[in-house]
Amino acid sequence: MPTYTDMTRCDGCGECVDICPSDIMHIDPVYRRSYNIEPNFCWECYACVKACPQNAIDVRGYADFAPLGHKVRVLREPEKGVISWKIRYRDGRLKEFTFPIRTTPWGSIKAPSDYEKPDSSALTSQMLSHEPAALHIDALPTINKTKA
Amino acid sequence: MFTNNPFAPVSDLLHPSFMKVYIVLMILAVVVGTLLDVYHKGSAKFFARRKEKSRAAAERQLSGGESFSLALETVAEAAVSGELCKWQRRLSHLLMMYGFFIYIITTVAMVFFYPGVARLPSILPALWTLGASMVLVGGLWFFFVLRVNVAYDGASPFHLGRADLFVGSLIASVAFALVWDYAQTTYANPTATWILFGLYIFFTTLLFGAVRWSKFAHMFFKPAVAFQRRVEEANGSSDLPRPSAENYIVRS
Repeated sequence: MPTYTDMTRCDGCGECVDICPSDIMHIDPVYRRSYNIEPNFCWECYACVKACPQNAIDVRGYADFAPLGHKVRVLREPEKGVISWKIRYRDGRLKEFTFPIRTTPWGSIKAPSDYEKPDSSALTSQMLSHEPAALHIDALPTINKTKA
Repeated sequence: MFTNNPFAPVSDLLHPSFMKVYIVLMILAVVVGTLLDVYHKGSAKFFARRKEKSRAAAERQLSGGESFSLALETVAEAAVSGELCKWQRRLSHLLMMYGFFIYIITTVAMVFFYPGVARLPSILPALWTLGASMVLVGGLWFFFVLRVNVAYDGASPFHLGRADLFVGSLIASVAFALVWDYAQTTYANPTATWILFGLYIFFTTLLFGAVRWSKFAHMFFKPAVAFQRRVEEANGSSDLPRPSAENYIVRS
């Protein structure tokens, strides 16, 4: 189910080029719009579909869930934390699906570099990075080495 | 430079109606180039087919008032370059768009209504310089920093391709217009001035004559696509999912 760009919607912002893990979303040299240079190598992660602010990237559904002649469109609403899909089948039937994708505001997750640098004592800690604060709990149980 | 009609001295060497004929030819070139572009891309067929599909899939018919309101919304969006999601690109586009309008209108006004230096309102050459400068600033910013193939696809800022035909010829046209205007008011070297005028005419001809191959026609079909998209969303024929009624952001 590789992706493709609807050039009448694309505004050439480059978000899909930036996010594609397979590096197959590139910029067309004639129209300066994005396009999938090698659909065979598409991981079908849909990162580009979800990242596109213009909803310009569509997917071709596999025939086992949507026979040829259909249309699959995606709408990302980061402000609501949701992604919706709509399939229009060739006989005119419509199916819509809504998936919650997160419960915290878009962009609120801190990058590792935004956290305080751990000191060397963290090497001997049983906690993983930023535990327990990152889990929104006060404490985690630890193994008592003397008992073990 | 800011008070003189830059086109007035052209009649010293060329026929007084040269610039008038040239502008008419450029308008014709834009019309012909756009029609050829529409024919080559099949844009008219594409829009007609999309309109037909939209009408067939519509859940309700829009009234004339609703269509008019959507048209106004489309114009309002285009006026602020609202289709571009990044503020840098939007600002650069606004500089180029309004700069281009000011530059073109003042050029036509100075050539057709004030061909001599006499009675020229000083606001016209000042606006002409301002318009050309806006295009130059927005264009150079876009060309060297914001072009998506440069910013995201690893291309060199000096890379030139067919996609750059419009913006490249636009930047060169206004740049040589400004340099030519500056040279003819500052230096008494007619040869250099005429060479700069020739370069200005060459790049301006390239800008308006290459519409069939460049992105020039986007200013006509982009608003048409935006309007059709709004119609599809309003009449229920859009392929995009309906916006979610629920908000799943429950934590800060």
